[in-house]
Amino acid sequence: MRKAEARVAIAGAQLVSSLVRSLGIGEGAALPGRILIRLYPEVISGLSKSLPAVLISGTNAKTTTTALTREALSGSFNVTSNITGANMDTGIAFSLVARKVTAVGKDLAVFEVDEAYLPDIGSKLETKIVALLNLSRDQLDRVSETRMTASKWSSFLKLNPHITVVANCDDPLVVFAAQSASEVLWVSAGLNFFLDAYSCPVCGGEIDFSDSGWRCRCGFSRPSPDIEVSRNTVSVFGRPIEMDLSLPGQCNVANSAIALGICQVLDVDLDSAARRMSTISEVAGRYKRVSIDGHEVRMLLSKNPAGWVEVFDMVGDDSSVVVAINAQLADGKDPSWLWDVPFEFLKGKEVFACGERAYDLSVRLHYAEVSHVVEKDSLAAIRACGTRDVSFVGNYTSFQELRNRLNGNDGSLVGLIRSLGNRVFG
Amino acid sequence: MKEKIKVVSVLPNLLGTYGDSGNAVIVSKRLALRGFKVDLVHADLRSGVPSDADFYLIGGGEDGPQSRAAEFLAIDTPLERALDKGAGLLAVCAGFQILGRSFIGPDMAPRNGLGIFGCRTHRFEGPRSVGELVVDPGDAMPGVPMMTGYENHQGITELLDGTRPLGIVRAGNGNNFGPQVDGGVIGRAIGTYMHGPVFARNPKFCDYFLSLVLGHLDPIRDEGLENSHNRLYFERINQVLME
Ligand SMILES: [Zn+2]
Repeated sequence: MRKAEARVAIAGAQLVSSLVRSLGIGEGAALPGRILIRLYPEVISGLSKSLPAVLISGTNAKTTTTALTREALSGSFNVTSNITGANMDTGIAFSLVARKVTAVGKDLAVFEVDEAYLPDIGSKLETKIVALLNLSRDQLDRVSETRMTASKWSSFLKLNPHITVVANCDDPLVVFAAQSASEVLWVSAGLNFFLDAYSCPVCGGEIDFSDSGWRCRCGFSRPSPDIEVSRNTVSVFGRPIEMDLSLPGQCNVANSAIALGICQVLDVDLDSAARRMSTISEVAGRYKRVSIDGHEVRMLLSKNPAGWVEVFDMVGDDSSVVVAINAQLADGKDPSWLWDVPFEFLKGKEVFACGERAYDLSVRLHYAEVSHVVEKDSLAAIRACGTRDVSFVGNYTSFQELRNRLNGNDGSLVGLIRSLGNRVFG
Repeated sequence: MKEKIKVVSVLPNLLGTYGDSGNAVIVSKRLALRGFKVDLVHADLRSGVPSDADFYLIGGGEDGPQSRAAEFLAIDTPLERALDKGAGLLAVCAGFQILGRSFIGPDMAPRNGLGIFGCRTHRFEGPRSVGELVVDPGDAMPGVPMMTGYENHQGITELLDGTRPLGIVRAGNGNNFGPQVDGGVIGRAIGTYMHGPVFARNPKFCDYFLSLVLGHLDPIRDEGLENSHNRLYFERINQVLME
């Protein structure tokens, strides 16, 4: 494609994006990204020449780890990133269009990448570092099974020996993939959901887990970590860094350990990276505290069983819990996974079951002996809570739906016009 | 009345990818609510699978672990011995496939199954069967109405002599071979492609399964629980059949 044509494609995509955003019908990356790739198929490789890239992938914590990494590196680099979390080819293409080129040698891309897209996107960019977080069951109707993804990652890393990998050594499927890389920094970032990890990806046997690690009888075992986490301290090659994060939960200390691993590879000062990360208090609306009619609501997103285990760690003792489950395309259409979540944890709390699949959740909660009220409308459920502190936990579309409603856009035409009016006049 | 009922979740670490281990939880609770003492056992490769239990629940899983499970269960044939002693067995998806005469391994080559069900599973060359599945058992299971679940598999399962289907498919693919049927039934062993888990979606099917071994059972008196089950049941069946 000629330069002029590429420029026209890019301008068109930018126009569509600002339209999408001003109408309040999306974050403005997916649709223009699709148009862009249609008009200019080599857009990703074309726009990323001499832009070194750090890619972050895995089933859970991609968006948060990317936000932490972006912040940690922004003192040393001019960072291009997919801030809205659009992590497939369309989102990456669009982020590259929005990129501002500055001084040579200071530009860096930090992208979260969908686990299925990692090999394709990783080959098109000038990928220097890949961070692999975890692999567990999620949207099984769309994403292929975890072992298949691990093999694809493995082949990709074998073909690209120049890439340095920062990998979670506590997850056997991640280790299986990362072993193919020529250089790996191992981070003990934890594993809180074992059901996808018991079966050895090398021999099919059963992996033994103990407090000190894991091992299979075939010899496949946990590599010893270069970076470890103990409460709020992250030790990088034995050097302790105190983390004082604004984000809640032990899982976010682990996410910051991955970010520090990336900083270590890039030779960025770890203390100032840690200070920068501590300023982040929300990520794309997640972890945010909002006030709703006298209730202080913590907004949490959880899409699958592994994510739920992390959420239990963030639910306050005196907090009511409003759980909303949808089963749209972006959620996965089969909520059977609710039976892999140890909801027994919520026993004794005030609990509301919400969302389109509130009854699937209700049946599950009954068998976990968690007393609860079914109220499909999550906002009504929050208002009905008897406590001041409320934890709202939604899966993908139910979380976005509440977030949109709180922003005054309820998805209807009237709401759309109202939010457009707010943008133009308000 | 029998003192203690033993329920076995069969190799959930291998065959537990699709939430089917919920079936064992539901069976145990529906027995406990009727006054039975229940011993729920999660059998893994190390503990082995006991052959003296009353109910066995097997779920779906990925190709590699599925083949490993088939090899393991063929060693001492605990399931065959338990069935001979009168146990009930529910097998879902990959679990159903390995209890047939043959299934497809991760290398795409056919493998021997346990031969409990008279069926053979081949690999479907078309698109994967993914979506809501509605199965009509007709009059075969007294008290059990039309059932719903969610299927997610690449198999086509051919029923052979001696094994009848669980029911006729009203939506979705099920066995996806010849006349549209789902699953297989032989004696007290039942196979199906319905996840959900199937007993969460269809509590009457669960109670029928329990009565195969225990005879007549009284209804459960936990109104909140049964109301939620009913709401879920009608919501699903209405939504799927209207689409
Ligand atoms: Zn092994």
